[in-house]
Amino acid sequence: MVALVDPTTRLGTLWQNRRVLQLLISRDLKVKYASSALGYVWTILDPLMMAFVYWFVFTKLMERAIGEDPYVVFLLCAMLPWQWANGVLRGSMRALSKDAKLVRSTSLPREIWVLRTVGSKFAEFLFAIPVLAAFAVFTGAQLHWQVVYFPLAAGIQAVLLTGAGLALAPLATLYGDVQRLMRIVLRLLFYFSPILYGINDIATRFDKEVAGVSIADVYAFVNPFAGIFDLYRMAFFPDQWVGWSAVLFSAVFSVVMLFVGIRVFRRFEGPVLKEI
Amino acid sequence: MSPVIEAEGLGISFRRNRARNQRLRDVARGRTTSRKGEFWALRDITLQVGAGEAVGLVGGNGQGKSTLLKLIAGVLLPDEGRLKVHGGVAPLIEVTGGFVGDLTARDNIWLTAGLHGLSRRQIARRFDEIVDFAEVGDFLDTPFRHFSSGMKVRLGFSVVTTLDEPIVLVDEVLAVGDRAFREKCYGRMSDLLSGGRTLFLVSHNEADLRRFCTRGLYLKAGSLVVDGPLEDALTTYRADVGRRRKKRKAAAAQDPATGEAQAGEQRRPGEQRPGEQQPGEQQRPGEQRPGEQQRPGEQQRPGEQQRPGEPAG
Repeated sequence: MVALVDPTTRLGTLWQNRRVLQLLISRDLKVKYASSALGYVWTILDPLMMAFVYWFVFTKLMERAIGEDPYVVFLLCAMLPWQWANGVLRGSMRALSKDAKLVRSTSLPREIWVLRTVGSKFAEFLFAIPVLAAFAVFTGAQLHWQVVYFPLAAGIQAVLLTGAGLALAPLATLYGDVQRLMRIVLRLLFYFSPILYGINDIATRFDKEVAGVSIADVYAFVNPFAGIFDLYRMAFFPDQWVGWSAVLFSAVFSVVMLFVGIRVFRRFEGPVLKEI
Repeated sequence: MSPVIEAEGLGISFRRNRARNQRLRDVARGRTTSRKGEFWALRDITLQVGAGEAVGLVGGNGQGKSTLLKLIAGVLLPDEGRLKVHGGVAPLIEVTGGFVGDLTARDNIWLTAGLHGLSRRQIARRFDEIVDFAEVGDFLDTPFRHFSSGMKVRLGFSVVTTLDEPIVLVDEVLAVGDRAFREKCYGRMSDLLSGGRTLFLVSHNEADLRRFCTRGLYLKAGSLVVDGPLEDALTTYRADVGRRRKKRKAAAAQDPATGEAQAGEQRRPGEQRPGEQQPGEQQRPGEQRPGEQQRPGEQQRPGEQQRPGEPAG
């Protein structure tokens, strides 16, 4: 593997520095889990409270008309990956400025600071999965063989987040407006993504077609997270599945995003280094 | 001698109107030609440095010395021209930069050394040496933010100089430590040089420059004015400073406000750090400040001081 990667390219230098990446990620986790008494609780507290609120509102206050039982499991299946996405998109905007001194004093390939955000948030995501498992056991949700798609979903999401993070990191450092804009975008994206509901709900509510394409397809083709979250959910709710087209779109979008991210990052790398 | 650093038409510009950080403002103080709020901190720098050379950078504050080092270190990217650096760089620029205040000294050594590319095994092997040199043995489990500024610099210097990189960049670090530690630093730097490393040294202290460097680069307003034997660079620099001082005196006599404004260019005598020599000051050949005296055990490299022009090592 090492021999296959040309060390003179960016990818090659990144590969050479994979140990540094590992070091940064493990340090992030160390700081997160060792420096506070509640450590691990903080990671799961946020999705847990959110899940509790939505569960209460949608199943106790209102008649649940979306998703599937057990609703808590249905929610967490997408809520946890959303936490990962949210964490990376927010974190990458500060990836270069938060540790400006480190960035300034080492000649590491700068993409590493974004990859580190993607990686450490992913680790937190993994650490939160036992919570989902606990709820699944508690509520008697059945795990299906489709859980094997988990790595695929995580892989597509990692590509998407890396691309978006690479684009956001320099832009947010250079332009203060980007952070404010993203705060709104992220909030909209939360409700616009199939987290509280599934793509299937869209399909059953809006069974009309626009120019031969169903509304659900249009929905999934606009939001790359739709296909990804749908794929995660297959592990517990295979009958919510709307087919591969959404996933395929997510994958294509993610790859394009990655290339866009790389281009944007390179383009603004010089100016960013002057600013931090 | 094969060149380890090749720069061709190197240039980098900054925007004047968005001085987000302190250092930018320092650079902005250098008077360079400005167009639309943009000025060139460095321009048209062409030079080659061979392996094992010891290069001293001379020039007033904000004339581009640190910017050049940062370009070589790869922590700034040029806007113009080409720069090729063959081999890794151990940057003693903002030495304390890599440290995290909340982590202990121990964790910080692991982190910073790791970030600079040392493997776990290498760090484990050098750990004691790093601690001994920095003299922080009793404070290994103290959070870094509780360190005194001297201790911070010592630790930074100690970590970065244990790296195996063939190019070493030193930016005014020596001015910070106390006398005893400075002596240790001199020793370490001599060792690095005799080990065949390429050295870049930025200092306002002529004795330091003479001690290590044979070649001098004089930067003025972002351009390379002199590239030759260190003495040539120093002489030209001194002449420039003298001329400017005269001009300023004349201007001050006419209009006190202008004189004050120009004083930003160069540190006034009152602002000088103790023990540091003023650039304009001549140092007589035999004269040595007490702190610089050679200790009996310390070896002096041949060609280290009085023979300009001769390659080091």
